[in-house]
Amino acid sequence: MVSRAAESIPRRGLFARTSGGLFAAALAQLIGADFCTASSADHAVGSAGPATLQPRPPHHPPRAKAAIQLFMNGGPSQMDLFDPKPVLNRMDGQPFPGNRETLGNQGTADIGVLMGGRYRFNRHGESGQWMADVLPHTAECVDELCLIHSLWTEHPNHDNALYKIHSGRLFMGYPTLPSWVVYGLGSENRNLPAWVVLTDPLGPPKNGDRNWTSGFLPPVFQGTPLRATGAPILNLQPQYEQPDAVTTASRQLLSRLDELHRRDRPFEPNLDARIEAWGLAARMQLAASEALDLSQETQQTQQRYGIGKEPTDSYGRRCLLARRLVERGVRFVQLFMEEQPWDSHADLEANHRAVCQRTDKPTAALLADLKERGLLDSTLVIWGGEFGRTPTTQKAGRVYTGRDHNMQGFTSWLAGGGVRGGMSWGQTDEFGHRAIEHPVSVADFHATILQLLGLDHQLLSFERAGLEERLTGVLPPRVVSEIVR
Amino acid sequence: MARHPRVQLLNISIAAVLLSSSLLRGAEDNNTVADVFRVLTKRCGHCHSAQVRRGDLDLTSAAGLLRGGESGPAVSATDPQSGPLWQRISAGDMPPEDEPPLTADERQQLLLWLQQGAPGLPFQKAAAVPLDQHSIQPILLLRCKTCHGPQRQAGNVDLRSVDTLLRGGPHGPLVIPGNPAASPILQRIITEACPPSEELLEYFVRRPDETEVERLRAWITAGCRQTVVPPAPPANAADPLVTAADLEHWAFQPPQGDPNRGSIDEFIGRQLRAAGLDWSPEASREVLIRRASLDLIGLPPALDVQQRWMASTDPDWFEKFVDELLASPHYGERWAVHWLDLAGYADSEGGVSNDPIREDAWKYRDYVIRSFNSDKPYDQFLLEQLAGDELLDSAQTSPITPQLVDNLTATGFLRMGVDETGSRTMNFVPERLGVINDALTVVGSGLMGLTIECARCHSHKYDPVPQRDYYRLKAIFQGAFDEHDWLTFRNRTLRLETPERQSRIAATNPPLERQLKVLRTKQQQSEELLLLTLLQHHYPQQSKAENQATLQALRVADNIRSLGQRELVERLQRVQVLPDSVQPPAVLEARHSLQQLEREIHRVRQRMEPADTIRALWDRGDPSPTYLLRRGEYNQAANPVEPGVPAALNSERIPFNPQPPFPGGTPKTGRRLAFARWLTDPRHPTTARVFVNRLWQHHFGTGLVSTPDNFGRQGTPPTHPQLLDWLALRLIRDGWSIRSMHRLIVTSRTWRQSSTVTPLHQERDPQNRLLSRMPLRRVDAETLRDSLLAVAGRLSTEAGGLPDPVLVDTSGAAAVLPREDGNWRRSIYVQHRRTEMPTLLSAFDYPVMGPNCQVRSVSSTALQPLLLANSAELRELAASFAARVQRTIQEMGGNPVETASRIAFGRRPTAEEQQVGEAALEQLSAAWSGDRQRALEVYCHILFSSAAFLYVD
Repeated sequence: MVSRAAESIPRRGLFARTSGGLFAAALAQLIGADFCTASSADHAVGSAGPATLQPRPPHHPPRAKAAIQLFMNGGPSQMDLFDPKPVLNRMDGQPFPGNRETLGNQGTADIGVLMGGRYRFNRHGESGQWMADVLPHTAECVDELCLIHSLWTEHPNHDNALYKIHSGRLFMGYPTLPSWVVYGLGSENRNLPAWVVLTDPLGPPKNGDRNWTSGFLPPVFQGTPLRATGAPILNLQPQYEQPDAVTTASRQLLSRLDELHRRDRPFEPNLDARIEAWGLAARMQLAASEALDLSQETQQTQQRYGIGKEPTDSYGRRCLLARRLVERGVRFVQLFMEEQPWDSHADLEANHRAVCQRTDKPTAALLADLKERGLLDSTLVIWGGEFGRTPTTQKAGRVYTGRDHNMQGFTSWLAGGGVRGGMSWGQTDEFGHRAIEHPVSVADFHATILQLLGLDHQLLSFERAGLEERLTGVLPPRVVSEIVR
Repeated sequence: MARHPRVQLLNISIAAVLLSSSLLRGAEDNNTVADVFRVLTKRCGHCHSAQVRRGDLDLTSAAGLLRGGESGPAVSATDPQSGPLWQRISAGDMPPEDEPPLTADERQQLLLWLQQGAPGLPFQKAAAVPLDQHSIQPILLLRCKTCHGPQRQAGNVDLRSVDTLLRGGPHGPLVIPGNPAASPILQRIITEACPPSEELLEYFVRRPDETEVERLRAWITAGCRQTVVPPAPPANAADPLVTAADLEHWAFQPPQGDPNRGSIDEFIGRQLRAAGLDWSPEASREVLIRRASLDLIGLPPALDVQQRWMASTDPDWFEKFVDELLASPHYGERWAVHWLDLAGYADSEGGVSNDPIREDAWKYRDYVIRSFNSDKPYDQFLLEQLAGDELLDSAQTSPITPQLVDNLTATGFLRMGVDETGSRTMNFVPERLGVINDALTVVGSGLMGLTIECARCHSHKYDPVPQRDYYRLKAIFQGAFDEHDWLTFRNRTLRLETPERQSRIAATNPPLERQLKVLRTKQQQSEELLLLTLLQHHYPQQSKAENQATLQALRVADNIRSLGQRELVERLQRVQVLPDSVQPPAVLEARHSLQQLEREIHRVRQRMEPADTIRALWDRGDPSPTYLLRRGEYNQAANPVEPGVPAALNSERIPFNPQPPFPGGTPKTGRRLAFARWLTDPRHPTTARVFVNRLWQHHFGTGLVSTPDNFGRQGTPPTHPQLLDWLALRLIRDGWSIRSMHRLIVTSRTWRQSSTVTPLHQERDPQNRLLSRMPLRRVDAETLRDSLLAVAGRLSTEAGGLPDPVLVDTSGAAAVLPREDGNWRRSIYVQHRRTEMPTLLSAFDYPVMGPNCQVRSVSSTALQPLLLANSAELRELAASFAARVQRTIQEMGGNPVETASRIAFGRRPTAEEQQVGEAALEQLSAAWSGDRQRALEVYCHILFSSAAFLYVD
């Protein structure tokens, strides 16, 4: 059989074929069964802390073993989806009574008038929490959700707010939340990356791969993007054609040469680490393909996630993959959408509705599925974006039909993983503009997530240039213990 | 931001404290202020007294407590318990980890006293200190100067200082001392007429907050007082905040020893023998040739070079070989990489998601390469980079000389950090302070080995760096980096070229620009054609009007598209990402021709003469006053500071005397020039040490000080302190010649050792701190890529100029566009866009610059083997390599296994390798149905992936 370039093969064929790829089972034998050689090799001089994915004990008993972050790029509107504001609705069309300079990020010239919530709200579940009618499926899970209405961030620009929500800093180049988590805990799966990023087949999110950087932490802690279609990992498949026999022979050659090289150089852990990396590459090819094979799921499960139907197919696939990855011991899974679909400066009503239609059903299916499989208790699900939206409209082109960015108050929700379901935390003012009760900073949010995963934000540090760097920065954050079960 | 290491202290139970304090209540009469000061003196006094004022704080007297330190008063009148004194103690920050903590009794005593309102502290006296101009000037700088300063004087009003404020505007006075209600400046601020609402974002100002307005009002009410504040510390005097004992740390004392006696091997040998070890035997000649070549020029030895030196019978062959390498133009290309890491070089601005290209950064890169290749003395190299604009008066010199251009290009060193201030929304003072901080970090840790950036928010916790030293250093740069008088991206580029280059630009570029314009129009048309072809093929039922509407929607920013527009764009995206196998030939053709056009455009650009613009930093002669910022916060100005050098590094009292460098010429402060002269004074304790340590680090993988950025108390002490000093003094003695240091190091017995680790090594020197052998090292990202190209015979040796573009494909892989001849240049000439580094480089630990990189990490990730084994790019290079092997055999005879080994590894294969290789070639050939050519390609590809290629003995 001759392997062809990965992208020219239909999905089914791709999965059927992988066992014959460059890193075939033969390779695994060649490399040896013991992949667990401790790698003390990779480290940067002057840095501190482990640089391998060996599992490490948590700081305290964890509530969650894994996390799935459904990242909502662009900034979903809190007052339209989760945080109903009767006063705002009543004052629809009137000027904002407060200081206009505190609104938005584009100066005051383009600020329009107050705009009431665009959808109908109802109470749901036993907890009676509010949710807009564009999220009918999520509404059914409301008793699992802890809605945090009082998040706030520090910059009204996407770029910086994205850096902030992911890395705790306003600028690029710092390690992100999941990289800190895998740095702290390592991985329990030796065949898959510790941290998987599921990107949108339509394209990268705003800020691209900077969303899953490990910053100054060693690169072994960066996110591995897996694509739901096509070749799942960059260069996982050979980009050229050759017969399988050639592949096998060439692997044997490499293994033999490296063995000779290593034999003459005893006491060199770097050489072992390199061979370990080859092992992971080989195992990853097999394991990733298996994990990504959704045909192993029943028709019923696929339907539940909205797979095979528009507009839910794409997001549904990623949600189902997230569950499969968590089941296989992946520590952190992140889902991104192309660019920034929630960023509705214009036509908010229609645009938000469309994103809801795409994500609502798969999201609810993920929660229900995790719960049925007994995974929700140990899996923290995080839903939210980098900021919220203003109570006022904003001029875009010639119309006033959307909302600007709002860093002073927004809603995210958490579910599972030791979080108290069926509750809300914090409040915004009567316009949904500013967090006024129990404000939760990004550092508080991060510290809480780390806490749930068994990590102490204070102890989780990395020494660099004489400084101990932390995800949560200098000012002591507050773990929001009220939302933990 | 980062926290400093500290022991996680005591979760002291508040309840316990409250309980015991109520028990103590009976004794409260005895709890006098004198008792409290006894505790404070005992526990805090050795760092915070009138004599030793760490953090500018004296906790041994009432006056000291009220005056407070660099974070403000230690206790506040309204709520004594909430002040920094109790905060730091209760949080366990103080006393620091190496000092005994307060006993429970002492804590209770202190807390009780604070809860009682700190009886005995004369708060009234402290509050009586009247406001002066330094309470007001920071407000003017922050809120007014951008519209009423050097760049713009709206309404002909100048508010750059209190002096100009008091001078008034064209319509009379701006303040009426004693009468705030009649003072126009206050009234305009209160009514929000100023700063004008619509200009806040245009000029990046924010309104004064309430406390600032109140302060201004109080100052006017009290009569606009001005006082003379003597500089602290006094100019060119010792800083009382740094004691003689502080300066005893080895790195703060000048290097000791006699550079005319001794050698590297003497120092190394002494410690080896003390540990019962000896040097390892000298490495084989083959190994030395490869090692020296990769180390000094970053490329494997060419076949003929290797043969020539293998055959040499000269006893000094190695010294001569090293000289040959150092004379190669590739030497500068190699060692510039290390310096660019230190500078944090990038071809883009970073900070914002579109990561704009930094058009002229490469001129700095070429300057660095030229400097290494001409063996520019290190002191001169630093002078030019730190103060090139103050060495020669560019505005008053005609004609422009190459030296002048070089001097200004060199200052690009200070403009390498992430700089988001070109953005429409991110050019406020805090962001500008971040840019300045990056430059100071590079200067502090990169050149002086001092982590001075730690003192931005408070005095350094481990090193004797008072907070004001950070701001005094900042003041040195204020003439050029003025956060209150910031140059935009548009007006910070300098146009400067020699007449000769100017005329070449005029002669060469106009026709090429016309060509470019035509190509760009064509490109736009081809893009549209491609999109329409895609739509027509995949959505034959979609109307022409809808197709046009899709193109229209693409021109609208994605976040202001209507739902209809979003849907159209998404329909398009869905078919754009389909694999080539399901695209019709028309789409593939359109894509191909678009690619060709893009390449053509790049090539025309490469044929153009580079523009006469330079990314430089220059002093403008009118700096804003510099204030210490409490806790590093931009709006918490405290005392003014004068430019000055860090006291920790000034034990020798080397003079620092800024003087305008061009009397009668262009006004400049001369501060950076004075700083650069101070830094390069032979008596400076760290400049030479830090640099020779860096050289050592790149030659041996680890520096004698393994924390090259930190020579302070938290840094790692040198493994060979005398050797470090000797090298530093030797550098100075040899006229700061970098090349002679390379020669000294590389020809030492220590460097020439074999890298084999023996059981004895493993027992006595497991981490090779004593250098009992040469460390085995993996090549870095650039060396790997350059070696691949060189071995494949696909390396273009064209030097300098515009960086080669990087193209990102739909899978996210980033690859470098080849030159016109189909070859690639060395990695240093690749476009270093922060967000688009070539995948091969980032996979092998090319760093994220933040703000620079002083030690590269060496990781083993699964991505590396995947990339080496599977990428089509590598297979293409392997094919070239195979062709080269065959050509070589035709010319010189030999067999494939042996020839390939000599080209790739610079050595003959061992008998075992020969046998394994031959057997593998047979097997591969059989697997390819007898195709020996392809078998050899695969064989060559495997060599690229092998440990022998990636590691250097």
